[in-house]
Amino acid sequence: MPFELAEPRSLREAIASLDAKDPSVRPISGGTALMLMMKAGVLRPSRLVSLGKLGLAGIRTGPGGELRVGAMTSLRTIEKSEIVRKGWPVIARTLRTLANVRVRNVATVGGHLAHADPHMDLPPVLSALGARVTIAGAAGERSIPVEELGTGYLETSIRLDELITLLEVPPLGGRSAAYLKCTTRSADDWPAVGVAVSLDFQGDSIREASVVIGAATDKPTRLAAVERILVGRKLDENLLDEAATQELSVEGDLHGSAAYKKQLIRVYLRRAIHEARAQSR
Amino acid sequence: MRRSIQFRLNGEAVSAQVAPHETLVEVLQDAFGLFGARESCGQGLCGCCTVVVNGRAVSGCLYLASFAEGGEVSTIEAGSRLDAVQEAFIECGSLQCGFCTPGFILMTRQLLEEHPEPDDDTIRHYLSGNLCRCAAYPQIIEAVKLAARKMRQT
Ligand SMILES: Cc1cc2nc3c(=O)[nH]c(=O)nc-3n(C[C@H](O)[C@H](O)[C@H](O)COP(=O)(O)OP(=O)(O)OC[C@H]3O[C@@H](n4cnc5c(N)ncnc54)[C@H](O)[C@@H]3O)c2cc1C
Ligand code: FES
Ligand code: FES
Repeated sequence: MPFELAEPRSLREAIASLDAKDPSVRPISGGTALMLMMKAGVLRPSRLVSLGKLGLAGIRTGPGGELRVGAMTSLRTIEKSEIVRKGWPVIARTLRTLANVRVRNVATVGGHLAHADPHMDLPPVLSALGARVTIAGAAGERSIPVEELGTGYLETSIRLDELITLLEVPPLGGRSAAYLKCTTRSADDWPAVGVAVSLDFQGDSIREASVVIGAATDKPTRLAAVERILVGRKLDENLLDEAATQELSVEGDLHGSAAYKKQLIRVYLRRAIHEARAQSR
Repeated sequence: MRRSIQFRLNGEAVSAQVAPHETLVEVLQDAFGLFGARESCGQGLCGCCTVVVNGRAVSGCLYLASFAEGGEVSTIEAGSRLDAVQEAFIECGSLQCGFCTPGFILMTRQLLEEHPEPDDDTIRHYLSGNLCRCAAYPQIIEAVKLAARKMRQT
């Protein structure tokens, strides 16, 4: 597989090395997903543009208390970060069972979010938390919700000559968040379903609810009907069961059939809500 | 399109001619005759290809050799004497064919750096990305704990 490896030193140079019309020119961050795609023969790049020398790694909090993570920050660095553990524990917990230590040492959050495999663990969590990414291109920067990144299986709204540069996660504030990953083989396998919830409890009722499911369809999906049932009243689990799968045309895969996944969603949605509630106390 | 890259390998400054697509395991084997890191699954799952780059374990089968440029690469071949982890693996009989052993040893060193007194859960979790087809897992877990004790004593 002959390709050229470009190693630009600045963001401007990196963007100029990309090609708005040629999908065989791709950015490479950790390369963990790209290497697998190349080995499987589904990607034959002509040029890979390495983002390793752009100074895009680092974690800090911004003026509004938001978490700011550079695109080249490794998943392992995020998992170990005190800032993340204290302020956004759901992210650190999610990372613990994402792949294995070696993959997390190398994989970056930018590559993770750009890859858009619907089985990935962070996109549902970050979508439920209302996170955004900054995307840079020749015309400048734009910021979009993580939720709007995925448009289909391995497809995103990032243009071929654009790059993710930054992830921003708003402070949790009064919300409590949980992510449950249901795997059908080992604990750190790809999920059969992933259920992310972010809930703002006020006593026994919920003021604001955000529920996003991964691995069930071709991209992470928000369960708006479930959110409506959750907000403003006491929890009715029977209503919830019905709403849990009505909006989704769940797709079966290696990790479970569609019928099985539907049942998993019902069960894991309840558990995720209970976990978030336990944390809020 | 080969180009020359420089890095430190097991403490020595080296250089190699690498093609853009070559992985770190390929270069260690072809250019340096080091076979401790070996490709098995080729997918990041089994840990047989473990190499330590700039102090962090990576799967050499998924890691572009070019990314090691200017870095510090360390393999199971580093050092001339057995360390506490290697001794423990031998004493506990933690291998049969030995194919997976270099990866387990390198990962165990990292595990013990982060968790000097790991419990079984921590060990299993940390090593979940390392597979042993001979299924020496119980002895491997014993060896990790023995190595931890040895390291605390010295
Ligand atoms: C063994 C194994 C197990 C795994 N298990 C899990 C799991 O359980 N859960 C899970 O969620 N994930 C899992 N993964 C996937 C893993 O999370 C991804 O491979 C990783 O996050 C990709 O990051 P990267 O930096 O290596 O991306 P790369 O491979 O470098 O890039 C991935 C894609 O994103 C593009 N890209 C990279 N950076 C940018 C950028 N800044 N802007 C725009 N486009 C960009 C690339 O062109 C490519 O298309 C697993 C992977 C492996 C190898
Ligand atoms: S050969 Fe690299 S992890 Fe299995
Ligand atoms: S000892 Fe044979 S694979 Fe582990």
